[in-house]
Amino acid sequence: MIKHYHSQPQSPGRVVVLGARGFLGSTLVRRLNNVVPLGSAEVNLLEPASVEKLRGIVRDGDALVFASALTPDKGKDTRTTMKNLAMGEHVAAVVEAVKFAHVIYISSDTVYEDDANPVRESSCASPTTLYGLMHLMRERMIWVAAQKSAAPVMVLRLCAMYGAGDTHNSYGPNRFLRAALKDRQISLFGQGEEQRDHLYVADCARLIDLCLQHRTAGTLNIATGHAVSFMDVAKTAAAVAGGEVQIKGQTRSGSVTHRHFDITETIKAFPSFRFTPLRTGLTEAAKQPQ
Amino acid sequence: MTIGFAGLSHLGTVTSIATAAKGFDVVGFDPDAQRCADLTNQKLPVSEPQLSELLMANRSRLRFTQDVGALTKCRVVVVSLDVPTDASNRSDLTPLRKLIDHIVPALGPETTLVILSQVTPGFTRSLKVGGVNLYYQVETLIFGRAVERALQPERFIVGCANPSTPLPAAYAEWLRAFGCPVLPMRYESAELAKISINFFLVSSVATTNTLAELCEAIGADWSEIAPALRLDKRIGPHAYLGPGLGIAGGNLERDLITVQILAEQHGTDVGIVSAWLTNSWYRRDWVLRWLHEAVLSKTDRPVIAVWGLAYKQDTASTKNSPALALLESLGQFPVYAYDPQAKAAVTGVTQCPTALDACEGATALVVMTPWREFSSYSAAQIRERMPGRVVIDPFGMLDGRALITEGFSYYRLGGQ
Repeated sequence: MIKHYHSQPQSPGRVVVLGARGFLGSTLVRRLNNVVPLGSAEVNLLEPASVEKLRGIVRDGDALVFASALTPDKGKDTRTTMKNLAMGEHVAAVVEAVKFAHVIYISSDTVYEDDANPVRESSCASPTTLYGLMHLMRERMIWVAAQKSAAPVMVLRLCAMYGAGDTHNSYGPNRFLRAALKDRQISLFGQGEEQRDHLYVADCARLIDLCLQHRTAGTLNIATGHAVSFMDVAKTAAAVAGGEVQIKGQTRSGSVTHRHFDITETIKAFPSFRFTPLRTGLTEAAKQPQ
Repeated sequence: MTIGFAGLSHLGTVTSIATAAKGFDVVGFDPDAQRCADLTNQKLPVSEPQLSELLMANRSRLRFTQDVGALTKCRVVVVSLDVPTDASNRSDLTPLRKLIDHIVPALGPETTLVILSQVTPGFTRSLKVGGVNLYYQVETLIFGRAVERALQPERFIVGCANPSTPLPAAYAEWLRAFGCPVLPMRYESAELAKISINFFLVSSVATTNTLAELCEAIGADWSEIAPALRLDKRIGPHAYLGPGLGIAGGNLERDLITVQILAEQHGTDVGIVSAWLTNSWYRRDWVLRWLHEAVLSKTDRPVIAVWGLAYKQDTASTKNSPALALLESLGQFPVYAYDPQAKAAVTGVTQCPTALDACEGATALVVMTPWREFSSYSAAQIRERMPGRVVIDPFGMLDGRALITEGFSYYRLGGQ
């Protein structure tokens, strides 16, 4: 259940963004006015000393966006998981001690079980990967810490994102667009039948901004509600790249799975919100250096 | 013979009047003096088709009173107070227990006491009524069809302390007047039979809605499939096969929650109930999702016309109404609503005197309750009043083809 502490949008005051140099964090920082962007260079959340360092920067009444994580491309193993949990532990210690006006935790749809379909906020959170388990754990760490300081907490569980500035290059729109522009060829698993929801990073930043303005609390999945096959994504990326682009399928080894989102709760929370169509998002992404 | 009724809410009002219509003298008791005075003056507390006419035709056999002593001479006294539910659809049996405690001392030595209210399994046996002959009888009131159901019940399900003992003569005579089978069974079986009926209805509703949504996705049309199912003897001509916006009204939800509570106490598996509830909540928001897709995500400052506020047609009840759930989500937009009977005080919603008035200046029209009146409006009439060209008509009350011809985008449940 979502709750807007401000029914009408208000300035959130000063917003501290952790993970400000990441794909999402940097997009969000560009959008916000009164922002304190913090990356690992300023505060290394892996270090226990980061607790005191961060406490020296933040102040009561700030809003906090916790968007730092070592993503699966940095490692899917226990060591990476423990590093992520250590970051969660340190941020939770700060959340517990400081009277934040609002805390937003950026989580992931990997917290849901693989066969949840359609995925909604009430779907069973039963992750099969360490990455998903880590996010679920950090969600709870932040909730528990915020209960002590009485800060409203918003957990946003994001589906896969695309857009300019993505460093992950994972299978999907960004990789397809880069491949189309550079190699004039896109390689798919199987025939790209799998349907997935692809979120434009600027849309995600806009939604976070709305949550800040409404001081929204609860748990929300962030997805467009329209699942698209990887083949269609590849065709769209090829069209955006222009010219001749070859889309190559391969022999499939595993079975085809799909993931759809029921975004009713997002519609209820922000009924006027408009998601950027995939083609528009990819066109905007193509304007940036790849 | 005089039959007494204690508790003149929806159930008691309808059943007492139906009993008078079968030729019995009736005493209707309620502690609420105003309620009794209103009924004496033929002013009904509920709206049901044909109920007013039935009351007028049988008023000579009906006496409404707040004097509990008037029940003393009744050979059968029926406790007919509707059991309220809270926001979580849990029954509150406190008013019912209080009413029973109040009337039992007034009952005559030969009186049979019948509990007709919506009780939870175990309630009847838990009652302490001294030596009074006690029975539980399943009610099957359906809002909007209550008179028809009360006059022509399909059967009577009677819960007894000992089902092998014949029913008291007076009670049997009253039941016989309705000309339907009587099924005596132990209290607990009868109490669960009532819930069982509702469970089968919910399963039909959930199954229909699940498949109707799939129809929308794959290009099938549920209205073509449903008639084939009705001809299947295992499903039947009266099965709940109309796609809808989930379960509403409160009674079905109450029974689902009751069984969840019982299952938790006794460790039985009711995972299917959670699935039904999830499906129901999902379907309730069907209109909102289409409205967002077709209007809210595309139009600046949309104006929405809403036809129907009641949870279903022929009733003024808005308990768990999908229309009210929709209005809650449309708080930031101007909404103009019309319902033939139901009223709802929702911030930002203007209730209009006519359906077409609600369409004035609208970007989109949504039909939330299948009132027959709505079928009488033509596509041309709607087009004349609203500048927008989106109609969301889940129950197919309007002429979809004509609307499409008039340039509207048209959406209904279970089809294209």
